[in-house]
Amino acid sequence: MTPAAVLFSGVEKTYRRPRLLGADYHTALKDLSFEIPPGEVTGLLGLNGAGKTTIMKLITGLLFPTAGKVRVFGHSPSEGAAKARVGFLPELPYFPPQVKPAEALAYYGRLSGLSGASLSAAVDSAMARTGLEPHAGKRVLEFSKGMLQRLGLAQALLHGPDLLVLDEPVSGLDPLAIHDIRSLLAGLNAEGKAVFLSSHSISEVEKLCSRVLIMVRGRLSRSVTRAEWEAARGGLEKIFVEAVK
Amino acid sequence: MRRAAPVVLSVALNSFSESVRNRFFTLFAVFAFTAVYASVLAGVMAVDQEARLLADFGLALIELTALAYALFGASSSLLREAETKTIYLVFSRPVPRWAYLAGKFCGSMLTAALMLAVMALLHLSLLYFRGFGVPEAYGWALFGTFLKLSVIVSFAFFVSLFSTSAVSTLVISAIMWTLGHFASEARFLAEQSAGLKGFLLGALLWLVPNLQLFNVRDAGAALAIGPSALFSAAAWTLSSYLGALWLLSRKEF
Repeated sequence: MTPAAVLFSGVEKTYRRPRLLGADYHTALKDLSFEIPPGEVTGLLGLNGAGKTTIMKLITGLLFPTAGKVRVFGHSPSEGAAKARVGFLPELPYFPPQVKPAEALAYYGRLSGLSGASLSAAVDSAMARTGLEPHAGKRVLEFSKGMLQRLGLAQALLHGPDLLVLDEPVSGLDPLAIHDIRSLLAGLNAEGKAVFLSSHSISEVEKLCSRVLIMVRGRLSRSVTRAEWEAARGGLEKIFVEAVK
Repeated sequence: MRRAAPVVLSVALNSFSESVRNRFFTLFAVFAFTAVYASVLAGVMAVDQEARLLADFGLALIELTALAYALFGASSSLLREAETKTIYLVFSRPVPRWAYLAGKFCGSMLTAALMLAVMALLHLSLLYFRGFGVPEAYGWALFGTFLKLSVIVSFAFFVSLFSTSAVSTLVISAIMWTLGHFASEARFLAEQSAGLKGFLLGALLWLVPNLQLFNVRDAGAALAIGPSALFSAAAWTLSSYLGALWLLSRKEF
C-alpha cells in the first residue's frame, strides 16, 4: 500500500516561550488528525493564528510535534528520506540581494544533493517552469515580489519533489503572476505531484484544490471536498465563514 | 558522511561569499588598511626599536581587526538566517544539522583566513617599504592568530544559539577572548588562593581557553606553534562545536 503523502495523527504542538521566571505556553495545534493522499491538491484555510504555518513547519521538519505522530511518505519529517521528497515554499522567501537567480538555485540544488550536469539541468528546468528565464541576468535585488515568489517556487521544484508544501504562494501577487502560478501548480499536479497549500484567498483555493481543510484555533474544524462546496449554496466561502464564526 | 561533504563545502563557500560581499567587509578592509598603516607611525616614534614595534604593533592590529570581523560574522550568521527565514529553505532539505554547522564554521574561518592573508600582505609591504625584512616567526604568529580565531569563532557560534541577540553574543565572546589572554595570571591567582576560593578559581579555569598559548612572539625567542597549542585549539574548537550542535539539533524554526 502506498503511504500517504502526509499523515497527522493526534498531533499537538505547544510553543514554550521562556520568561525570567518560568515560561509561557501557547498551544497552536490540538488533537489534529488528517491525511493527504499522493497526487492530491489540498488547501488549508484558516484565520490568522489558526495554526496553518505550524502545520507546514511540522511537515517540513522545522518544528517537532509536542504529542502525536507526523509522517511524510511513511517517514518522520526529520528524516532525509522524507525531506528528499518535499519541496517547501515559505511565506515571503528571502534570497541574498546580490546573487543571480541561477546562483541561488544552484546553492539550494547542491543542498538537495544535486551536482554536475543534473544540477545544471534542474536549475534550467526550474527557471523555465517558473518563467524566470528572461530575468536570468538580473540580481535578486532587482526582483519584484512576484519574481521573488517565482524564485521561491523554483527552489522548491529543483529536486523534483513528490509533495509541494506552499505557504501563501499567491499572497501579494498581481493577477498575471497568480494566473501563471496557478497554471504551474495545475501542471505539477497533472504530473502526479501532491500539493498542500495554505492561503487566505478562498477563490484561489477553490480554483486549485480538490479538498480543503478548515482550521479554527488550532483544531481541524472541517474537511470539505470539491463536490461538497460545489453543491453547497454560497460555495466554499459560506462553508468557511460558518466554520470560523 | 560521504554525501554530507558536498553540503559542508556548499554551505562554507556560500557563507564565505556572503561574508565577502557584505558591505561591512569593505568597511573592515578600509579600517584594517588604516590600522596597519598606523603602525608605521608608531614604528617611526620607536626610533631604534622600529622594526620590532612595526612588526608587533602590526600583528596585534591584524589580530584585532580579524577578530572583530570574525566575531561580527559568527555572532550574526545563524541569527540572520533564522530571521530572514533562509534557514527554512536549508533545513526543509536533507541537510544534516551537523553538516550545516560545520559549513558555517568553515565559511567563517575561510573569511578570517582571507582577512589575515590580505592584511599580512599589506603589513609586509609596509615593512619592506621601511627597509625591513620578514620578522622572525611571522608565519607562526599569523597561524597562532588563526588558531585563536578558530577557538573564539566556534565559541561565538555556540553562544549565538542560546543568546537573545547578536550583540550579546559579541560581548560574551569578546569577554571570553579577553579572559583567555589572562589565563596564566588567573592560574597564578588560583594557586595562591586557598580553600573554596582557590577551588572555584581553579574550576573556572577549565572553562576558559588559554589563548596565550598561541602568542608565539610573546616568548623571549620566537617559537613555533607546538603540539600542545594545536591540541588545545582543536579541543576547544571541537567542544564549542559539539555544544553548538547539541543546541542546534534541538532548535525549532
